[in-house]
Amino acid sequence: MDLYRSGSSSSCAGKAPDQIDGLLAGAGYRVRSSELRNVAQRLERLETVMVNAPSEISHLADEVVLHNPSDLASWVDSLLSELNQPVPVPDLSDLTYAESLDPTVNTGAWMEHHTAEQHREIPQVLTAVEEDSCIQLVHVLMTCAGSVQRGEFSLARALIDEMQGLLTRVNNRCGIGKVAGYFIDALSRRLFSPQGSGLIGSAYENEILYHHFYEASPYLKFAHFTANQAILEAFDGHDCVHVIDFNLMQGLQWPALIQALALRSGGPPLLRLTGIGPPSSDGRDSLREIGLRLAELAHSVNVQFAFRGVAASRLEDVKPWMLQVGPKEAVAINFIMQLHRLLVSAPTRGSPIEAVLGWIRNLNPKVMIVVEQEANHNQPEFLDRFTEALHYYSTTFDSLETCSTQPDKALAEIYIQREICNIVCCEGLARVERHEPLAKWRSRLRGAGFKPLHLGSNAFKQASMLLTLFSAEGYCVEEDGGCLTLGWHSRPLIAASAWQAIPEPNPPLGLVDPYNNVV
Amino acid sequence: MVQLQDLGNVELTLVSDKEKRLKFCINDHMDILIEILQRLDGRSLEAAACVCRQWRHIARSDWLWEHLCFRHMSPRTMAGVRPVVAAMGGYRRLYMLCLRPVLSRLGRTRRLGGGDPEVVRRVWTQHLVELSLSLFCVDYYERLGNGGGSGGWVGDASASSLMFLCNPVNV
Repeated sequence: MDLYRSGSSSSCAGKAPDQIDGLLAGAGYRVRSSELRNVAQRLERLETVMVNAPSEISHLADEVVLHNPSDLASWVDSLLSELNQPVPVPDLSDLTYAESLDPTVNTGAWMEHHTAEQHREIPQVLTAVEEDSCIQLVHVLMTCAGSVQRGEFSLARALIDEMQGLLTRVNNRCGIGKVAGYFIDALSRRLFSPQGSGLIGSAYENEILYHHFYEASPYLKFAHFTANQAILEAFDGHDCVHVIDFNLMQGLQWPALIQALALRSGGPPLLRLTGIGPPSSDGRDSLREIGLRLAELAHSVNVQFAFRGVAASRLEDVKPWMLQVGPKEAVAINFIMQLHRLLVSAPTRGSPIEAVLGWIRNLNPKVMIVVEQEANHNQPEFLDRFTEALHYYSTTFDSLETCSTQPDKALAEIYIQREICNIVCCEGLARVERHEPLAKWRSRLRGAGFKPLHLGSNAFKQASMLLTLFSAEGYCVEEDGGCLTLGWHSRPLIAASAWQAIPEPNPPLGLVDPYNNVV
Repeated sequence: MVQLQDLGNVELTLVSDKEKRLKFCINDHMDILIEILQRLDGRSLEAAACVCRQWRHIARSDWLWEHLCFRHMSPRTMAGVRPVVAAMGGYRRLYMLCLRPVLSRLGRTRRLGGGDPEVVRRVWTQHLVELSLSLFCVDYYERLGNGGGSGGWVGDASASSLMFLCNPVNV
């Protein structure tokens, strides 16, 4: 600053106020004498910021293209606003003193520092400015969601534009940048194309994404193995067993159960599997194909096996007579990430969950497995759902970062993106991802006449062992009142529980005719 | 202490034995070979399979690999496992694809975590075998879906559900 002061004292004396300052002109800058004071103040502020937070300097470097010094006036202003300093009245003339003020900092050093960072590629380390932008991004996301809830759509659209701008300043390949990208995308879908919103894929696409999600992360494996352990224990001593799977997909859960039944002491039972899934649109009968594959596997390990496929586009369309449960069979019901779909309700009709749980209870299953996402995405207010989803899926994406096999990771992210879009974009009957936390499911299932079964220590040991096989050190299995949860860094993400129907006071004979009447 | 006289006798014995030894070939004594191979670890067994056709035939026999799989387990065998494993691709495949990475992954964690290794091992082995079998079964099922199981060549670890076992542990 001394340079300026000496310059001003000598230049002011005897010169007209709007003339170009001579000393600065000698250094290559054109400044009017009358504006020197303003310029000096801003540069002082800039200097304070730069000296106090030198890590921000690298960020400055990538915006420095100094072709014409006259552009820098607004540039210093924008610098200051980015660094969250109050911007003074924009009366600045064409000048920057940055290089002369701080001799240790010059453009050359900035460029070097910046290129070095580019080569180093440390996705986890954020510069202070990036972190700032991330915080801003989250803040604007919340504001936008709030405005969507209130119906202020023009404000929401403007905020989306702002967020797109902020996105360019953060690393959108990992961390909060990536998650924010997906949420911004979902919000824009909601605002700009409300009718065909949400990402609806074909059944075949969904199967593929599901498979890659299975490979990329332990959540589904945990669900399958825990469920199989509970089913195995419930089937102990029974010779005719019937498993009803409400979302067959590619049947990845069942080979392990078939193998475990083959090896159980006393020999394998007769196993019937009823797989429910959406109807295939492209002529393939995927349910039948899966059934054939499972039958082949069962045959090779000498387990008597029968398969039945039930195609239904909505779970509530499934009726008990379609399942053909025999009178002496031990029945196991399997709901992996499916039960929440029955919570779908529209203003015109309530949710079908009560009815479905009712007829399931009448089947008197030995065990009903419920594995659900541990989150509260079914709150009535949009902003609450949005906030919860942002936290939940940030954690999920964090855990996915540890997966290194492609294309599993990329496709798993698309799988999750579809869930996000459904929660954020859709309403009414279209919003099927109605996750509820374990506590809510407990009260709901108790109310429907089920009592909890404790998942034993075997299940816990198996789950812990499964996790140690995954190369990431962040997953944790916890026991919660007889249920198991799998989480990432102490945030539970998926909860598995087992249930049994409470016997009626006057138990029916157990015979059910095809019209679902108790005989 | 060997006397000079004894040394002379020993030398004589050595010379005549040498002739006999030159005529000894391990390939003529399969039972000894099998006894030795039974005690090797997986890596050495695979290396032994590269020596010659005869060794390969023996070293690749599933019985040896079954022995290897259950050598460290207690109890030694589980009833009825053999036909199941044979149907799903054999013990060699089970070892290479599931058991070896599972054991090494768990061994590493155990070493890091401390604690009494013997007790821990005994408690966990049954679960370990069960878990490995389950994973192996899923692998077999996926191969069924990929157009029929190929004849037991372990090299194509293309079964994607087990890829996570191949990833280096992030310690």
